[in-house]
Amino acid sequence: MKPVAFLESSIEDFTLNINNDYRYLKTGYYVSLHAEILGNTVIPSSENIVDAYRTPILLLRAAKAGIPTLPYLVTGSVKQITYELSFPVVVFAVNPFSYDGFKTARNRSALYRAVKGLGMNYKFAVCAQPLKGEMISFKSVFGECEQQENVKKISEKVYEVFKIPICKLHIQLVDDSAYLCGLQPLKKEEMLPQDLKAVSEAILQISKFGENIVG
Amino acid sequence: MASIACFVEKYNFTDPKEAKALDNFKLAAESLGNRFSFMFRENLMEIPKNDAIFIRATTDPLYTAYVVSKTAWELGLNVVDDPKSIQICGNKVHLYALFEKHDIPRIPTILLNKDDLHHKRILEIFRAFGRPVVVKAPYTSFSKYVEKVACETSFREVAKRFFRKSDVLVVQKFMPTAFDWRVGVLNDEVLYVCKYMVPKGRWKHGAKRKGKPSFVWGRTVSLKAENAPARLKEVALRACSVVGHGLYGVDLKEVEGDYVVVEVNDNPSIYAGQEDLRDKDIYERIIDYLTK
Repeated sequence: MKPVAFLESSIEDFTLNINNDYRYLKTGYYVSLHAEILGNTVIPSSENIVDAYRTPILLLRAAKAGIPTLPYLVTGSVKQITYELSFPVVVFAVNPFSYDGFKTARNRSALYRAVKGLGMNYKFAVCAQPLKGEMISFKSVFGECEQQENVKKISEKVYEVFKIPICKLHIQLVDDSAYLCGLQPLKKEEMLPQDLKAVSEAILQISKFGENIVG
Repeated sequence: MASIACFVEKYNFTDPKEAKALDNFKLAAESLGNRFSFMFRENLMEIPKNDAIFIRATTDPLYTAYVVSKTAWELGLNVVDDPKSIQICGNKVHLYALFEKHDIPRIPTILLNKDDLHHKRILEIFRAFGRPVVVKAPYTSFSKYVEKVACETSFREVAKRFFRKSDVLVVQKFMPTAFDWRVGVLNDEVLYVCKYMVPKGRWKHGAKRKGKPSFVWGRTVSLKAENAPARLKEVALRACSVVGHGLYGVDLKEVEGDYVVVEVNDNPSIYAGQEDLRDKDIYERIIDYLTK
């Protein structure tokens, strides 16, 4: 069923909301919200959508669930970041408009640029984390990904906690360890035929619980 | 003794009445034996050091205030506004869907999807509600992003502008009144009651000055909560019951002898000499709720 048709419906059943983009205020979000208003169990929930895309909340809830994360700092102050974290650092946006990636800063001037850009001219806070290793970004489809074992485990656990069917995960590899750093929506063009196949397989498994698949 | 952090932004101190109200919260907290400090964006890592978080900065699921609220909530602290209330009240689509589900007396409302913005649908809306109608962006606050439209051209123009950020909008029947009732509610009890007057020649409490970025606000007339109409308070409490049990400001209109809910706001404005004029104990009651 198409998302717009579901929004007009009053189907009361388990709802699986498949979308590459669940951003707040966008159709993917409203589908989950509509399902909840109807009293349906829905994947993903509107609360998880809001939380998973806000990096500090993602990291807080992930850490509580035992997912490895690094210390983070929410602030709008470059001075505070340099005081509390040593270079290099990785910076994520905590503003209402940016969902696109992160910036790394290896010195003070790069950090100023990152905080200014992601904080929209210092209007909003940013989320800074130490950069101790290498950042990798990859697609996660129902928690499945083609990565090394410890990264796979993080991907599965993130799905277990937040239940975001399709997303991009940002993970930091430090020596033999992996740490969750961020999650963001996927662009439509990033969805490849093999991803759609993985989605179909997951749907087959989950549809045992109900019939309403929106996407 | 509890330690309360009040999350604020610099703009919370620009209006002397709001700054005074914040001062009153501090005085009330300290007189009740608590510690009360203002927490700015630079001090968010201090959240875990407190027992309760009181948010006075503007809330929205996309603002830093939500990060503060959810962090405090996850850490098990008392928090006003709680994240669920921010999620519901911060999105009027969510709010009206709940009102409809629970049959709360409300302004006649239609939720409009982005794909539904076409000639036939607009005509249907005008037929159902008459002209003009009110188009609201879900993230409206302080009377912003709420516009009155009387023809298809302006309907399309406003809707397209609001659709840039949200894929669903709220369209409501235009119900002009000289004032909106504002009922302050805390934990399912009425805290204060005011009338938010509509400035002369305008149709909402806060209206933008023509050609200027500033707003003109109507007067606030306070009355003792116990003297306010019982039915008004009943409807306000019912509306809050579908949102949560925190601190809310319910806007209602009096129409043909009854009351309809305009919206429930989390993080309601509290200005010294206005909301607190007839019920001076609001500061103590809120602090008491935070430290329970």
